[in-house]
Amino acid sequence: MARMRFDLTLLLLFAFGSFLFFSAVSADLVISKLDRRIDLSSHIVRATTSLKVENNGAEAISEFLLPFPEHQAKNLALLTVIIVEGKGKSKVSSESLPVRIVNPKDSPPSLVWYSITLPKELGKGGSLNLEIKVALSNILRPFPEKITQADVQLIVFQDSAQVLSPYAVHMQSLTVKLPEPKVESYTKLENTKFSGSEIKYGPYENQPPFTYTPLAVHYVSNKPFVVARELVREIEISHWGNVQVTESYSLVHAGAVILGEFSRLEYQAQPHLRGASAFRHLIAKLPARAHSIYYRDDIGNISTSNVWGDSSMTLLQIEPRFPMFGGWKTTFTIGYGLPLKDFLFKSGGERFLNIPFGSPIDDLVIDNLTVKIVLPEGSKITSVSVPFSVKQSKQEKISHLDVVGRPVVVLEKTNVVPEHSQYFQVYYKFSNLSLLQEPLMLVFGYFLLFVACIAYVRADFTISKSSPSYLAKLQWDEVRSTIQQFEGVVNQCLIVHDKLQASLRDLSRTGDLQACKAARKTADSTLKELLKDLKPLISFLQSSPQAAQILPKVEELVAKEKELQEKIMQKHSIVVESYDKKSGIKDTENRVTALEQKIVLLRQEVDDLVDTIDEI
Amino acid sequence: MAPSVKPISSPVPIEWYPTLAFFMLSIGLVVTSSFFIYEATSSGKNRSLAKELSTSAVASFFLGFGSLFLLLASGVYV
Repeated sequence: MARMRFDLTLLLLFAFGSFLFFSAVSADLVISKLDRRIDLSSHIVRATTSLKVENNGAEAISEFLLPFPEHQAKNLALLTVIIVEGKGKSKVSSESLPVRIVNPKDSPPSLVWYSITLPKELGKGGSLNLEIKVALSNILRPFPEKITQADVQLIVFQDSAQVLSPYAVHMQSLTVKLPEPKVESYTKLENTKFSGSEIKYGPYENQPPFTYTPLAVHYVSNKPFVVARELVREIEISHWGNVQVTESYSLVHAGAVILGEFSRLEYQAQPHLRGASAFRHLIAKLPARAHSIYYRDDIGNISTSNVWGDSSMTLLQIEPRFPMFGGWKTTFTIGYGLPLKDFLFKSGGERFLNIPFGSPIDDLVIDNLTVKIVLPEGSKITSVSVPFSVKQSKQEKISHLDVVGRPVVVLEKTNVVPEHSQYFQVYYKFSNLSLLQEPLMLVFGYFLLFVACIAYVRADFTISKSSPSYLAKLQWDEVRSTIQQFEGVVNQCLIVHDKLQASLRDLSRTGDLQACKAARKTADSTLKELLKDLKPLISFLQSSPQAAQILPKVEELVAKEKELQEKIMQKHSIVVESYDKKSGIKDTENRVTALEQKIVLLRQEVDDLVDTIDEI
Repeated sequence: MAPSVKPISSPVPIEWYPTLAFFMLSIGLVVTSSFFIYEATSSGKNRSLAKELSTSAVASFFLGFGSLFLLLASGVYV
């Protein structure tokens, strides 16, 4: 309590002091109407101020000054200012105006000044409607700071009933919205009203610049105070069809610290009475069509999670391994994959990634956020465009099938609130041919394996080149290759026989005698050639000692094959003759049948012999 | 005014990955087996380097692409 009073008196002193210094500067601009709405329904304080500023001086003004007390400026996560024109349905908002920190010479030390650059100068007598949105994180203080499991969490919020401004304000009002329709205590100033879940301060008229009336609101808030001390988001792009996002959280419950013991029995029996300040679930809104979602930590997979998906987003509800009470920490990792075509685009000669910056978890304050974007190997980063200030740097990462490494863009920011979940872009160049590098690397790897096999089969690793076993093996290899060639020749002979048989069948079908005779002629010449080829092979086999076993079989095969050949030739001549003489079919049949049977038998024997030779 | 913005997607539709992986790997394994049969049955002077190299080139092409699509189909987006 004493510390609170000290803060406020200091501020009051500085406020009165600064009034003396700044009266000259701010005599021109006047705020005619100001409405402030402070939303305390979550642990991030969101203040929306809509004001109408008029230029009563002679000069045109191009900047608007906004001071903040130092303790608020430290926790200022977001400040956006827009110009609003029209009312109600015809409201038109401009883009967010550029804001920068300035240091006026006469400023008292505990104020931080923000200067908003107006797009057009505000001329003499002109007026402008501005809307200022401020998000403050880590500014609510739990009071009492330590509570037991059965207590409710009480929060203190301190601010001023009048807005701290270097300009005179003609009329202003403040509305404070509480999370629940009850309040412990609040500062009662003039014109204060409490109804429902809102406290109204105002309207206050004709306030001089730098009026500051401290107020404090002490209220119950059991909303989850989720703060991530550190979050690392890694976004890995693969042009084969997936954007993989991996987020590692280290969360803490930043509300009132729990005092004494935690009784699981009491918590499970009456969770609303014994554990009102704790939270169990966290909801994350992932983009639509997210797949392969996982939720794990150092121990392993955490199964207490649910996913609901529709066409606009995927809702992930996760429940940490224990309920989070004040001061308790938990760490976990969430990962999910996203389809490429929703986030990767091609424009001009460049590709760019368009993806939200912050965390998908609802209402999360992040103290240190690091976003790493890993681009595929062979891409060249050209630029990064983020709608707010971040710290950029570059890294390299080696991942699957990488040779040189993938380029990584690292963006860091502190004090991030959900309003920072805006889309940002990373522009880079990548040629489609580089995509082939990965499969070609695999193909080359397999080819090396095969080349190794070929080399092994051809290599000769015997130590002694003149030992008898080695020489015997060499000779056996030669015999084997000769036999293979011999088999090839025999197979070719058999093919010729088959051709002759086929020509006879053709004759019986079509009656074309000339074709039959021509086939016979070609068969004869082919067989003669094959016989010539056979001679050197057989002579080699006869000369080599290793082939002693096989030689008789080979010779038998040659003899049988010769017989077969003769018989087939005989049959062929008979049939052709009878066609020539035009004798009856019965006659031909009689002559041929006996031959036919012998041919079939011989063919069978030849095939058997070929098989036995094969087996050796 | 602004250059046209087109979404990028994978060169091969993602739904085909498992089928492609299966067929390419099976063809690759068939060609590999024919390579090894040739190696085992031929001997000495009969081996032709051209036939060996061509068979192994075809086999390694199919095996390489097949294993790439196998990796992609099982979720390792390389």
